[in-house]
Amino acid sequence: MYSFTKPKPKPLFKEDTKLWLIFYFISILLFVGFSVFLLLKAYFYNKDTQQINKETIYLKQKILKLNTQKELIFLQKTLYENIQIKNSVIKTSIKNLLDLIPDPITLDKFLLSQNKLIIYGITPTKDVYNMLMLPPLESIFEKTQTYFYQLPNGWYKFKSINTIKADNAYN
Amino acid sequence: MPTIKIPKIPRIKIYGIDVIKNFLFFAFYILIILFIIATIVTPSVKLFKKTQKEYFLAKNQLQLVQNQYKEVSQTLQSLKKKNSKILNALQKEFNIKDFTLFAKNYMKIDSIKKEKTTNYKDKFIATSYLISARIKSPKNFYDFIDASKDYKNLIRVYFPFNFIKNKNDINLTFKIEVYNLKNKLNADEKAH
Repeated sequence: MYSFTKPKPKPLFKEDTKLWLIFYFISILLFVGFSVFLLLKAYFYNKDTQQINKETIYLKQKILKLNTQKELIFLQKTLYENIQIKNSVIKTSIKNLLDLIPDPITLDKFLLSQNKLIIYGITPTKDVYNMLMLPPLESIFEKTQTYFYQLPNGWYKFKSINTIKADNAYN
Repeated sequence: MPTIKIPKIPRIKIYGIDVIKNFLFFAFYILIILFIIATIVTPSVKLFKKTQKEYFLAKNQLQLVQNQYKEVSQTLQSLKKKNSKILNALQKEFNIKDFTLFAKNYMKIDSIKKEKTTNYKDKFIATSYLISARIKSPKNFYDFIDASKDYKNLIRVYFPFNFIKNKNDINLTFKIEVYNLKNKLNADEKAH
């Protein structure tokens, strides 16, 4: 049959259908794009978090080391102060013991160890020793033994051994 | 065989627009969008929020640790500065010649003998020396003890103290203990 109108090519989709399909495509693309963007952001956040955590652990270890150094300095300071105190105590102890010696008595030897003091000296009489030197020695030491040897001039050489219990000994 | 008749969608057109078809497209669009939100967008947002939270937490934690590190570091530096004399004293090796020179002001040293080195409180070592010297009076020894606190090594005067009268002098025998750090601080710092 003959037609007066020329045949028009029939499109696969009508105009409005095409518009809808483009709209679908753009919408899906936007949503997927948005999701991909978020996933990428999450990936970089995750990567940065790992890096930060590593740095935090490293710093924490450094802090531990610094604290160890700090403790060591405090230990050294304590030791230094203790030693100074001990030196001062030793000095005072020796000074006090030597100050105990009364004028009439002269010393030959003064041997001081941690728990023992041995004194060699000369006294005009036993009484001078017994009255002036023995009482302070007895008040300091737990055990005091004295040995006298008479000299040709009538004076006495003496040896005084004074001990304290090991528990009370000076450290 | 019975045939199923699919009802034909009526075509309602307003100004040439197919209302029913467009309504169906719109409904389908809503469904697709809901499906995409449920399956893709929501998990992505959740994951993003979770990692973002973790990131800021970690960053906050790092900031705290950095501040703590700065604080500890500053304290350590000020401690080192404040106690430099003590730290140096515990690191320096004991030198008999230097010590003799120092002690010369208070006594005449006859001999210094090294005795033993022992561990002291885990972190330190104590080396003891037996010293024989001559002094004019016990005061010289007291002054020596007082001055020892300014000596470059950490020195403890220790038993026995033997004062033996000589013609003009007093022969003095005593021990000193010199303290040093077992592992020197510098070595520690280098290791760090």
